Amino acid sequence: MQRIILLLLICLFPALPAQADEAALRERIDMLSKELEKLKHEMEDMNSRTEAIADQQQAVNHATAPGAQENASSQVSIWGYGEINYNRPTDQSRDSKMDLRRAVFGFGYRFDEDTRFTSEFELEHAVVSADDDGEFEAEQFYIDHNLTPNTRAKLGLFLIPMGFLNESHEPTRYYGVERNFVETAIIPTTWREGGVGLYGDTRQGISWDVGVTTGFYLGNWDPTSTDGQQSPLGSIHQELQNAKAKDLSAYLALNYRGIPGWVAGASVFTGKDSQGDPSVSLASGSRVTLWEAHTRWTPGNFDLSALYAMGTISDTADLNATFVGNPTLIPKEFWGGYLQAAYTFPLGGSRSLAPFARYARFNTGSKYASLPAGLNVDSLPTETVWTTGVNFYLNPNVVLKADYQHFSGDYPGDVNQNRVDLGLGLEF
Amino acid sequence: MDVTGFRNTPTLRYLSFNSVFFFDDEGTPTGGFNLDGRAASLMDQAHRPFLAPHEMANATPVAVMDKLRSASYVSEFMQVFGSDIFDTGDAAFERATFALQQYEKESAEFRPFDSKFDYFLAGKVQLSAQEMRGLALFNNPTKGNCAACHSSARLPDGTPPLFTDFTYDNLGVPRNPDIPANANPDYYDLGLCGPDRTDLGSRSDLCGGFKVPTLRNVAVTAPYFHNGKFATLREVVSFYVRRDTNPEEWYPNAGADRFDDLPPQYRANVNTTEAPYNRQLGGLPALTSDEIDDVVAFLKTLTDGYQP
Ligand code: HEC
Repeated sequence: MQRIILLLLICLFPALPAQADEAALRERIDMLSKELEKLKHEMEDMNSRTEAIADQQQAVNHATAPGAQENASSQVSIWGYGEINYNRPTDQSRDSKMDLRRAVFGFGYRFDEDTRFTSEFELEHAVVSADDDGEFEAEQFYIDHNLTPNTRAKLGLFLIPMGFLNESHEPTRYYGVERNFVETAIIPTTWREGGVGLYGDTRQGISWDVGVTTGFYLGNWDPTSTDGQQSPLGSIHQELQNAKAKDLSAYLALNYRGIPGWVAGASVFTGKDSQGDPSVSLASGSRVTLWEAHTRWTPGNFDLSALYAMGTISDTADLNATFVGNPTLIPKEFWGGYLQAAYTFPLGGSRSLAPFARYARFNTGSKYASLPAGLNVDSLPTETVWTTGVNFYLNPNVVLKADYQHFSGDYPGDVNQNRVDLGLGLEF
Repeated sequence: MDVTGFRNTPTLRYLSFNSVFFFDDEGTPTGGFNLDGRAASLMDQAHRPFLAPHEMANATPVAVMDKLRSASYVSEFMQVFGSDIFDTGDAAFERATFALQQYEKESAEFRPFDSKFDYFLAGKVQLSAQEMRGLALFNNPTKGNCAACHSSARLPDGTPPLFTDFTYDNLGVPRNPDIPANANPDYYDLGLCGPDRTDLGSRSDLCGGFKVPTLRNVAVTAPYFHNGKFATLREVVSFYVRRDTNPEEWYPNAGADRFDDLPPQYRANVNTTEAPYNRQLGGLPALTSDEIDDVVAFLKTLTDGYQP
C-alpha cells in the first residue's frame, strides 16, 4: 500500500528540471521525504481507524447486544429480543394468525479479560408442551477466548457466520416483519452447530471466521412431509440435539469492512451428511455444501444490500430411488437471492422511519438427481416475493413493522399467499 | 377342529414394534394386539388361541398346564420359572404366555428384514422397472396413497419401514358369505366396537374399524382383510381403487347395499375422503389395470427370505 502511494507521489511530482542545481535538488528531496513522513503518519492513522471500525462490527456481530446490561461486578450480562407477528393473507383472511414468534433471552459471563461465555435461549410460539407447536431451545452456548489482540477462538454451540441474518437476527436489525425467505429457506436461519471456530480481523479490514463443526444428517429427511421443500437444510439440521457427529463439517467466512459504510463478504460451509448411519448407507458419500455472497452499502441514510446463496446435496440418487412417489425427494441443488433497499428518515428524538423494498427469488428444489426412467421428479418452480413496507423505530431497540408481501410462483406449503404483515420487535 | 372361526389370521411378524392400544393426540386409535387391538400385549394376546374353541380348543388353563407338564421341555420351563410353578393357580399358564411373548419380541425370526425390498434399501439389489413403478404408485399421495397407512418410510431410529402405522381404518370390505356366522343377517363383525372387543361399544364412530396390518409377507398370507374376503392381491388392490368408481364389482346389490358388511347406521364410518377411495361413482379409478399390476409386483418384493 505504502509503496503504491510512493509511486503515485512520484508520478504526481512533475519531472525535475534538467538544469536544476544540486542545492535545489537537495531541497526538493528534503521536501519529498517530509511529505512522505507525513503520509506515513496519515496511513497509520487510517489503519488504526479501520481497525476500530472492524472491532465495532465485530462487537455487534459476536458480542452481546448493544444495550446489554452489565451488573455491578460487570461480569454478568443479560440481554434479550423478541417479536410478535400478525400475518393476514389478503384473499384467505381466515388463515390470519398472530404469534409470539420468539422470545429470546441471553446471558453472558465474563470470566476475565480474555474469556467470555455467551448463551441464548429461545422460546418459539409462546407455549411449549407435548401437544403444542412451541419449542424451547438453546440457540447459542459457547466460550469465547482472545488468543491474540486480533484473533479469538470460540468453542461450543454457536451461529454459523453465513449471510446477514443468521448471526444478526434480532428483529430491529432487518426490514420487514418476517425474516427474508432466502435466509430461511436456503440458509436455515437460525442455524447453529457445535464445534470450534477461530475468528479475527486483519489490518486491511478483512474479518475472517473459520471452524470445524457438527453438520447435517440426511437420515432426518422425511419424504412424506413438505418440510424439505420449505427449507431443505432446515429439515435436516440437528441443532446439537444428540447430533450425529461421525462426519464433521467446516466453514469459512470472509468479510471486507475496510471502507466505512460498505461490507462485502462470502462464505462456504461443507460437510458429509450421512454420518455413517446404516439407514442412509445408500447416500454414504453424500455431502452438503452451501455457498453464499453478500454486500451491503450504507451511503448516508440509504441501506442497500444484496445476497445470493446456493446449496447442493450430492449423491442422492440411490436414496431418492427408495422414496419414489413421495411428495418430497432430496434436491441436488437449491438457491436464492435478494436485493433490498431502505431509506431512514430521522423523526426527531430517537425515532425514525425506514421504508424499504425487497425483491427475492428462490428455489428449494432447482435440480434433482436422475431416477430410473419414468420416475424422475420435476424441479420445483422458482418463487418470487416482493416485500414492501416500513420499519418504524420508537428508538433504536424497539420497532413496529408493517409490510405487504406479494408471491408469484408456487412455493410449497401454506405461504404462497399474498399477505399483509404487522409486527412488534424489540431488543435490549 | 371343525369349529369355524370369524376372522382371518393376522401375522405375528414385526409385532415387537407395536404398542398397547391408545388414542393419539388427534384421537386416532393406535396400537394394541389382534385386529381390533383388544389385547394389551403379546402376552395378553397369547391367552386366547389356547382356549378359543375354533383355535386350540383347550377347555381351561388347567387343561393347557396339564399338557405343558408332559411336554419334553418341562424341566427347562421349571428351571426358568421355578420348580413350584405348577403349584399355584394359573401361574404356569401365565408364564407360558409370557414365554411366548418374549420369544416373539426377542427372536429375530419375527423380524428378519430380509425381503427383496430390504436388500434394495441396503443398496444390494435393484428393483425391476415394474417394481419401481409399483413403489412410486404405492407412495404417491394422489395415486395409490398406500403409504399413508402402510408407511414405507423408516422409523425415526432408522428401523426399516414396517408398512403399517398401527392405526385403524374402516375400508368397507364386502361381506364374506364363506364365514358361517354371516349366515345370520344380524351378525356383524364391527372390529373396534365389537362384538369381540367390548370396551369401545359406545364409540359408534369406530364401528367397522380394523387395524392396518403390515404388508410385509403379504404375498404369502392370503386370504386378505379381516374377513378373508379376497384371495388374491390383485383383487385387493383393484378393490381399493374401484370400490367407489365401480361398486357393482364388489357388492352384490351395489345400488342399495354398498358396504354390505356393516349395518346401515355405520356405513358412514367408511373412509371415503382419502385417496385412493375418494373417487366418484363412474369416475376414473386412481390406478389403471397396468398400474394395479405394478403395485402387486411391488407388494411381492416384501416377502422375507429373499436370496439375492
Ligand atoms: C386409510 C388407510 C389405508 C390406506 C390408504 C390403504 N390401506 Fe391397506 N389396509 C388398511 C386397513 C385398515 C386394512 C385392514 C382392513 C380390514 O381388514 O378390514 C388394510 C389391509 C390391506 C391389505 C390386506 C392385508 C392382509 O394381510 O389382510 C392389503 C394387501 C392392503 N391393505 C394393501 C393396500 C394397498 C396396496 C394400498 C394402496 C392402494 C392400501 N392398502 C391403502 C388401511 C389402508
